[in-house]
Amino acid sequence: MANTWGYGAMTNSLGDIQNAKAIIIFGANPAVNHPVGFQHFLKAKERNNAKIIVIDPVFTKTAAKADHYCQIRPGTDIPFMYGMLNLIFKNGWHDEKFIKDRVYGMEDIMEEAKKWTPQKVADVTGVPAAQLIQITTLYAKSNPGTLIWAMGLTQHSNGSSNTRLAPILQLALGNMGIEGGGTNILRGHDNVQGATDMACLSDTLPGYYGLSDGAWQYFAKSWGVDYDWLSGRFKSKEWMGKKGFTLARWWAGVLDGKDGNDQIHNAGTNLKNLFVMGNGITSIAQQAKVKEGLDNLDMIVLCDPFVNEAAILTDKQDDVFILPAATQFETSGSVTATNRSVQWRSKVVEPMYEAKTDHDIMFELAKRLGFYDEYTAGMKIKENKKDFTWPEDATDEIARIIKTIGLTGWTAKRIKKQTENWHMFDQISGRGYGEMKGEYYGLPWPAWTETHGGSPLLYNINRSVAEGGMGFRNRFGLEHDGHDLLAGAGSAPKGSIQKDGYPEITAENIEKVLGITLTADEKKRIGKNWKVDTSNIIAEKCMEQGIAPYGNAKARAKVWTFPDQIPMHREPLHSPRSDLVKEYPSFDDKENHFRVDTKYISKQTEKDWSKEFPINMVTGRLVNMNGAGMENRASKYLAALTPEMFCSIHPDLAGKHGIRDGSMMWIHSPEGTKIKVKAKYSFSVPEDRIFMPFHFAGHFQGEDLSHKYPKGTKPYAVGESANTVTNYGYDIVTQIPETKGGLCRIEYA
Amino acid sequence: MKSKYIIIALITLSSLAFGASDSAIWGDDLLKDILGYDKKGSLHLGQYFTILQSTYFKPLFFGVLFGIPAIFFIHYMIIGPMIFSHDRKRIYVFSVFNRMIHTIAGIAFILIIPTGLIMMFATTFGGGEFVRVSKEIHAISTLLFIVSIIPMFFMWLRWMIPSSDDIKWMMILGGYLNKRKDPIPAGRFNAGQKMWYWIATLGGFLMIGTGAAMYFQDFRLDILASNGISQIDFLRASAIVHNALGLVVLALFLTHVYMSVFAIKGAIHSIINGYKEEEEVEILHSSYYKELKEKGEV
Amino acid sequence: MSENARLKFYCDEHRCISCDGCSVACAEAHELPANINRRKVITMNEGIFGLEYSLSIACMHCTDAPCEQVCPTDCFYIREDGIVLHDKDKCIGCAYCLYACPFGAPQFPADGAFGVKGVMDKCTMCAGGPEETNSHKERELYGQNRISEGKVPVCAAMCSTKALLVGDSAEISDIYRERVLSAGHGAKIQPYGWSTAYGSKI
Repeated sequence: MANTWGYGAMTNSLGDIQNAKAIIIFGANPAVNHPVGFQHFLKAKERNNAKIIVIDPVFTKTAAKADHYCQIRPGTDIPFMYGMLNLIFKNGWHDEKFIKDRVYGMEDIMEEAKKWTPQKVADVTGVPAAQLIQITTLYAKSNPGTLIWAMGLTQHSNGSSNTRLAPILQLALGNMGIEGGGTNILRGHDNVQGATDMACLSDTLPGYYGLSDGAWQYFAKSWGVDYDWLSGRFKSKEWMGKKGFTLARWWAGVLDGKDGNDQIHNAGTNLKNLFVMGNGITSIAQQAKVKEGLDNLDMIVLCDPFVNEAAILTDKQDDVFILPAATQFETSGSVTATNRSVQWRSKVVEPMYEAKTDHDIMFELAKRLGFYDEYTAGMKIKENKKDFTWPEDATDEIARIIKTIGLTGWTAKRIKKQTENWHMFDQISGRGYGEMKGEYYGLPWPAWTETHGGSPLLYNINRSVAEGGMGFRNRFGLEHDGHDLLAGAGSAPKGSIQKDGYPEITAENIEKVLGITLTADEKKRIGKNWKVDTSNIIAEKCMEQGIAPYGNAKARAKVWTFPDQIPMHREPLHSPRSDLVKEYPSFDDKENHFRVDTKYISKQTEKDWSKEFPINMVTGRLVNMNGAGMENRASKYLAALTPEMFCSIHPDLAGKHGIRDGSMMWIHSPEGTKIKVKAKYSFSVPEDRIFMPFHFAGHFQGEDLSHKYPKGTKPYAVGESANTVTNYGYDIVTQIPETKGGLCRIEYA
Repeated sequence: MKSKYIIIALITLSSLAFGASDSAIWGDDLLKDILGYDKKGSLHLGQYFTILQSTYFKPLFFGVLFGIPAIFFIHYMIIGPMIFSHDRKRIYVFSVFNRMIHTIAGIAFILIIPTGLIMMFATTFGGGEFVRVSKEIHAISTLLFIVSIIPMFFMWLRWMIPSSDDIKWMMILGGYLNKRKDPIPAGRFNAGQKMWYWIATLGGFLMIGTGAAMYFQDFRLDILASNGISQIDFLRASAIVHNALGLVVLALFLTHVYMSVFAIKGAIHSIINGYKEEEEVEILHSSYYKELKEKGEV
Repeated sequence: MSENARLKFYCDEHRCISCDGCSVACAEAHELPANINRRKVITMNEGIFGLEYSLSIACMHCTDAPCEQVCPTDCFYIREDGIVLHDKDKCIGCAYCLYACPFGAPQFPADGAFGVKGVMDKCTMCAGGPEETNSHKERELYGQNRISEGKVPVCAAMCSTKALLVGDSAEISDIYRERVLSAGHGAKIQPYGWSTAYGSKI
């Protein structure tokens, strides 16, 4: 999404969903994953007569509340959306003015959409043509319509194409930047948005600055750390700018390309030690490989309030350390929700027993590794202090430094005040009353200055920039192939000195674009561009003139740096339709993909997987659990709701294999692994696929490993991990695993 | 200590696959049962049970418990007991086996009936621990009852088959309404004894069944499920039958006690030593006496 | 809440997403043993489009409560505001209340010897029991007493989508009516279960 229009986050807010007239949900299950947030969907249905359309391979709890449900084959969202676009363009339901002024490259999409007739779509996706026509008509004619997605679109080998076509669909309908519209991606876990904003990723510095030299220079300066010292921490300066391993494939870095494993590019060494804070080890695909990776490490350190099942999955006996981390109740700080808004969490109890807070653990580690002073220098810069106060100084450091997503307004003081006054805000629009007037709840980023109220609706040109409005970001240059990439005439945010498109603001163009003159002092202090402007002069001036610091450009339907310039359908690596694999093959193999050579076409065509593994496999969440289930399975009542690992299977499919309701079954994977789970008859899956929750761990390929838990730490519920059988497959851009569509073979146990 | 609770929780949880859906009452049937409560065409056992238990059972039991002894008391005052001579021969009527079985059954009844009444009138006893203990005694005594009533059923079966004598016996009410000593039409066992036998055995089996259903409460019987009878309706029916039949059992038990202890002087000895007075057999079981005479055993 | 409040539960099946927040909140707040479900969420017609719905079920605290009528030890007592409670010390675990109940609310933890069922336990609408309010014994036997502190019963407080409501009958009816009117469809004569529990016409 960031490659389409500049920011890759939920564009509107949960409350804003109540303004929609149609809500189309691709591969998301908010009734299970956002139960409280789902209230807004239900209220939209109740109060606004909004229609809910759910597109999902499984009939989920969300689908149970939908007005229309399409049971789509996993991994075929692109044909489906093109099918919708085909009908939209054919019938003239698209917003021509919006496309002309604010979108580049739609012509190529129109061409591609012509190929996807309702009949073709029905063949590829399994959704009847009549149903496609019905819901497209409904959705296109409902104004406004909002589009929701989650892991169902992202966890595929072409997930990055899926997440581009969905915005394109909304752009075609002119549903962007309006109340009740937008592309609302629902981020899952608590503060996962905050974690990505702070770059718990291996390809960027915090705030999505990337890894360029300019970015490193900026951060060195902002952190008060010598640039040369910082670059000296890497093997060589060249490695500073290289992407690291991902959470999905770190283990490949351990296995170092031996025994048929993918080759790595890690300066000639393999990974030796692993330090894990929180979850994430057993909720990754190819668990057997993860285990191998764990077994071959020199040292494993696991920090968590509960025992991470990586500790019992591995056969490693020595040098496995478990550090008790404190929970969120034992510490305080800011958290960011899926709609880019921030809240303050306060400590209610001191860390118990020997648990230490995450930051204490990291500070202690930094002390012993010898860079504690450099590590904490950034927190003392603002007020030139001798010592820092945690967490307020950390929050203020973030606000001081991160300009790309406009976190300048997120000072600790402001955030705390907001959370203390959370009753003073409107549920739907987020506007504050009384003392909180002028602010939106949570100060959704970007909050360009220290007094800015936040931007709840991205790309909304019906509001002034000071009130949270803006156009699309100028991120991809000023022109491409002779076409102007800046926004069309008259499509600037309200109350702006500029009425048309304009580039992102730099020290060079600020006077011209804003129509102002800087004083000599300002010229001395101003940063090179809006992203590295420590003085914040650019942002302040922009607010005065109604200009968005990041420019006002067109969104692009074409990403010329991606393997597929416009989104194209490619069958999942393990597809049940071998005929379609020939017609829509996967990408070419990618070398050095986050340091690991990753297979695509060679894996897909290795053999006809569907012959031996005919059943489509989908994994997903349960409402009472999350992630690898560490905490939830150790909680008595949550575990009591689903005490055993199971697989949802259609009675007819189960009958064919002699599997009764409640009896055990084997699920075999193309990886060569297998798991033994309980069968649960359900009509929520059709006859050609099964559904599994991925929250269980403690068993491995039929063997119970739970005796390895240290005394008193075994959770109430243990079971097989679905990821023991999820297949090889990673997104071409992000390397997220293809867990939402794989193949398997089932057998009576 | 804490680990004990964790183990209990683990065991309970591991038997709770998919939540409590194994429960026949609170599992998947729950919503169906709720909808069925008021539904037209359903058995409405819930409503019947509520009406019967709240309004009728207690007064009826009270009536039987005090009314029947009262009637017998009046009978004793007015008509008095039947007295038979001890000078003639004695006939062996109850074997060791008969008497043993009857004794065990008798003990069982003496435990079951009062404890049952304590449960019925629990308010009078203040509820709580005392009544809970009675409940357990009521249940455990059932075991004694089971081991005695099943042999009893078979050992006396062939003499308990209804015959024409029984109709005649019924019409004169066994001859207890006058003081004369006319021969009464009856075989080895008279109609009154036969009534008691059938209630005690077949009725007893029914009491055991319905009582066990209520005791074990949460289980699944396929034969009920396949006939569309939910477990909760089965329990409600069990409660109604158990209480209604209990009335009958109580009434006949009291009658049996009165007859064997008071109404016929010395009758009780026959179940202790096995012998009946010849005159008693001649009068009260005239057909049986004729039979014995023909066979030459008398 | 007004002096004349008559408290009732209502669960809106258009909003219930079977998240089980209510049942877990109840179990957690009252520290119930794992096999007692004072409140349960049931899903009917699972997986079938247009027919699947979920409901959260517990004691409805009926008017003329049948459980109270049939109890042999008379251990039930009904408060002015309609909450039906019972005395565990008097209860003998005979299960007559279960037979009389249209909603299957009474439960029997198997904590006696040989797994024999113990005394009855059921939803108290977070109003505790006959013991002294907020005493240790009350909490041990019956769970929290939130009503005495003016708090909402924890199940409805926790409901993710506000499908489960509890409060004065008139207020709840108003909310129900409002929802039905704004949705423009889905109206029933009265909220589900109310005719059985309260003999009400709303």
